[in-house]
Formats: sequence, structure tokens, C-alpha cells
Amino acid sequence: MDELELLKKDWKKKDGKFKELSYSEIYKIIHKKSSSIVKWIFIISIAEFVFWGIVNFFIPDSIYEVYDKFHLRNWLYISYVVHYIIVIWFIYKFYTNFKAIHIADSTKLLMKKIIKTRKTVNYYVYYVIIYNFILSIIFTIVMFSKSDVMLQILNPKNLDIDENKLFMYTLIIQIVVIFVMCGILWLYYRIIYGILLKKLNRNYNELERIE
Amino acid sequence: MTKDLEHKFISEFQKNQNIVHKVCRIYTNNQEAHNDLFQEITIQLWKAYPKFRGDSKLSTWMYRIGLNTAITLFRKSKRSIKTQDFESVLYKIESSDYDDTEEEQLKLMYKAIHQLSDIDKGIIFLYLEEKNYKEISATLGISEVNARVKMNRIKTRLKKILNP
Repeated sequence: MDELELLKKDWKKKDGKFKELSYSEIYKIIHKKSSSIVKWIFIISIAEFVFWGIVNFFIPDSIYEVYDKFHLRNWLYISYVVHYIIVIWFIYKFYTNFKAIHIADSTKLLMKKIIKTRKTVNYYVYYVIIYNFILSIIFTIVMFSKSDVMLQILNPKNLDIDENKLFMYTLIIQIVVIFVMCGILWLYYRIIYGILLKKLNRNYNELERIE
Repeated sequence: MTKDLEHKFISEFQKNQNIVHKVCRIYTNNQEAHNDLFQEITIQLWKAYPKFRGDSKLSTWMYRIGLNTAITLFRKSKRSIKTQDFESVLYKIESSDYDDTEEEQLKLMYKAIHQLSDIDKGIIFLYLEEKNYKEISATLGISEVNARVKMNRIKTRLKKILNP
């Protein structure tokens, strides 16, 4: 191909015609902060771990009082122990994956490792959502099956209201809240993926396709 | 000592900075983006430098990190892109170096390259740097045969862009 040979010639000719940076200019650059996606993935992932930790930590105590009435508190504590063991495992996984990222790896391997690191955090978030989802489903079933206790909580002053309707509304509100939460999370991950990983995923898929 | 390492890095980098400029040349098409990418690659090189053991050549190592930064780590800034004549900003080109048709062809070539995907740009870059397929495949992490196939496809694609 003639044009490509011409280009090669031109490429060589221009080698050395770039503006050379001085020692002090380079010094300044290496003291600037990187804005690489790996750094952002790290920051966002840590923020996610912290966020979900805080969410679980700040659930008000009054909720436990409700659980007491159904004798669920011990089960809740057991589930917490299991939960935190799993969380620690996730954080450990995230840390080792992150440490394994070396910029001097081949392009494909580098991308693979970044995606793996990010996936760990995604699985963690899925896990948290599913964990809370299952927990609330189980607790809802237990609570609604003990309708007398449930009614006492929902209607403490024993007002004259339609109990069936009250049950229905409570259930509907619960379902709506779950869906809205899932919607927000879905949107959040679309945005994170859209902004941060679009280019990475596209390039990785292209390398995969080559093979 | 960090200071010693810093000094060593800057001195070595200074001698080889052309490599970084060339990566930026392939991946960006204006001065601002060029500078942004140049900066990010330089930071990545410096961050990785303590782990550089010298079992490969410094230049090979720089090619890798340069390309990895451009393909994987770098996010283009959202700043508005000024339409500057890139060639005239970056190089002092003597007009006697070119005849007109060649110059026109070259302009088209560079334009065509900028339309390629990030991976394809990497392959064409290494090709222009006269790296063999073994090196191209090792840098990108694909097999040698596939690197060859890919290069042929890029040639066809460039041809198509140039002669639609």
C-alpha cells in the first residue's frame, strides 16, 4: 500500500520534531494528580462499600423493637454476622484484585483485571440488594402471617378502620418502595457504567473479538 | 531515596519523551487533548517506575504504558475542542519537505487513522514504529496470527476510507 509507506516515511521524518519538555516541566507533571479510570473505580468502589456499611449501620433501633414482637431479633443478629463475614470477604477480594492491576501488563490483561475489580464491587452491591430483599421478604411473610401482632403495630390505637385495606396498603407501599429503590440503583449503575466503563468495555470486547 | 529515583526517572524520561508524544499524536487530534494525554501517560509512567526492573528495554516498557493509558485508562476531558491546525502547532514543517499531492495524501491518512478504533490505532502505531508482530501481539495481549490478520484488515479499512 503506497499511502501507508508514505505515512511511515513521514512518521519517521517527524520523529524528533516534537516540542521537548524540560526537566522542570516534567517534574511539574509527575507531581500532578492522575485522573485515570482505575483511580476513579477505586474511589467509587470504596465509596460504595462505605455507603452500604453506613446504610446498615444507621438503621434506627426502633425497627428492632418491631422485630422483637415477632421474636425475630436473634435471627436478625445471626444474619448480620453472616452478612459481615461476606462483606469482609468482598473487601478482601476487591483489594487483591485491585493490587493485581499493573499498567505494564499487556493491554488485554490490564483491561481484564480492571473489569474483574469492578465486577467484584458490582457483585457486592447485587449481594447487598439481594440480601436485603430476601431478608425483607422473609420478615414480611413472618410478620404478615402473625396478623394479630401486625395489626397491633399498624393500628396501635385500635381505631375503627378496615383491616383488610390497611394490610393491602402496607403491602403495596412496601412493594413500591422496593421497586423505587431498585430503579434508583439501576439508574446509578447505568450512569457509572456509561461514564466510566463504556470505553473500557468497548475496547475489551474488540480485543476479545479479535481472538 | 525518592529524590534519586525521581531524578533518574526524569532524566531517562526526558531522553525518551518522543515515544509519549507519538502515542499522543495517534490518539488525539488537537493540542489540548495531546497535552492532557501526555500528562496522564507521564504520571502513569512515574507511578509504575519503581516496579520497572529493566528486564525489558525502557522504551518497550514506555510503549506499553503509553498505549495502555491511551486505550484503557485515559478519559477524554470534556473541554471544548479548539479547531487548531494540529500539524502546524506541533511541528515546524518546512514546506520544502513536501510536494503538494504527498501532503494532501498524508493529511488524509492522518484523518483516516483518527477514525479508527482505539485498538486499531494501537496496532497502526506499533506498525509505524516498526515493531514486529511478536511485539505487537505481546503489547496488546493477542496472538501473533491475529495481530497479523488485524493489521491486514486495518490496511483494507484505511484504503476504503481513502478511496471511498
